Amino acid sequence: MALRALADPTRRAILRLVHEDELAAGEIARHFPAMSRPAVSQHLRVLAGAGLVEVRPSGNLRLYRCRPEGLTGVTAFLDEMWSDRLAALKAAAEREEWPARARAAHRVTREARD
Amino acid sequence: MAGPRAGGAPRDPGGEGLTGPRDRAVERTIRIRARPETVWRFWTDPERICDWWGSSAELDPRPGGACVVRLGGDAVMRGEFVELVPYRRIVFTLGWDPADGAPPVHPGSTTVTVTLTEDDGETILTLRHTGLPPAARDQHRAGWSHFLPMLADAAGRPGAQVGEGR
Repeated sequence: MALRALADPTRRAILRLVHEDELAAGEIARHFPAMSRPAVSQHLRVLAGAGLVEVRPSGNLRLYRCRPEGLTGVTAFLDEMWSDRLAALKAAAEREEWPARARAAHRVTREARD
Repeated sequence: MAGPRAGGAPRDPGGEGLTGPRDRAVERTIRIRARPETVWRFWTDPERICDWWGSSAELDPRPGGACVVRLGGDAVMRGEFVELVPYRRIVFTLGWDPADGAPPVHPGSTTVTVTLTEDDGETILTLRHTGLPPAARDQHRAGWSHFLPMLADAAGRPGAQVGEGR
């Protein structure tokens, strides 16, 4: 669940924000001006559900902070690293091959027509 | 806490066997719409490996040859090629030069096995990373905060969000 929560770049960005500082939801939302407040709240819920952030009430505010024990260890780190890198490999290899395939298909079509 | 397989790929279709909870391994399987020959080049050509992994690389793809991939910043992954079966299988050792934010995995101390299986002109890629540190040391040394700088770097490369293999 922690890794799924980390799959989203916005949630990784939120984690970086609350890594050092405890921040209120509104302060976090201000870092994502292009995103609606409910969307940010939804990301915070996912992070809390995955145990990656902890939340405590303070007056009217809800304060969020990274939960360091939420994701520990080399294995989890490498799992995440390989997910990201293999996705990039897939994209790069497919980019390289598909123009070639498209040309080949075009040639076959032309030869069939000629 | 999620285990290493949480949200992960299906079991290895090559049938290397089930991974028990005590095995410290990372496994991923993805399908790539490109031939194994193409995918192979992205692991063995220093220019192409920088399209998806490092910012620079030294690769000498023969048994005993160097496999060094530099990320942005100071992070350097270092190992050696162990086995290469053209277009089918690549085995190399892997670790990090000691640095702030680098995992406590010494150069050459873990092993990555990449298997490429052709399927209808496309490639099923299975990656298995074994020899990871025992859980006790892992928990002791390496918290989330320790890896955050590196994760940010690893996740921030072009294409990282495209076609996730999960």
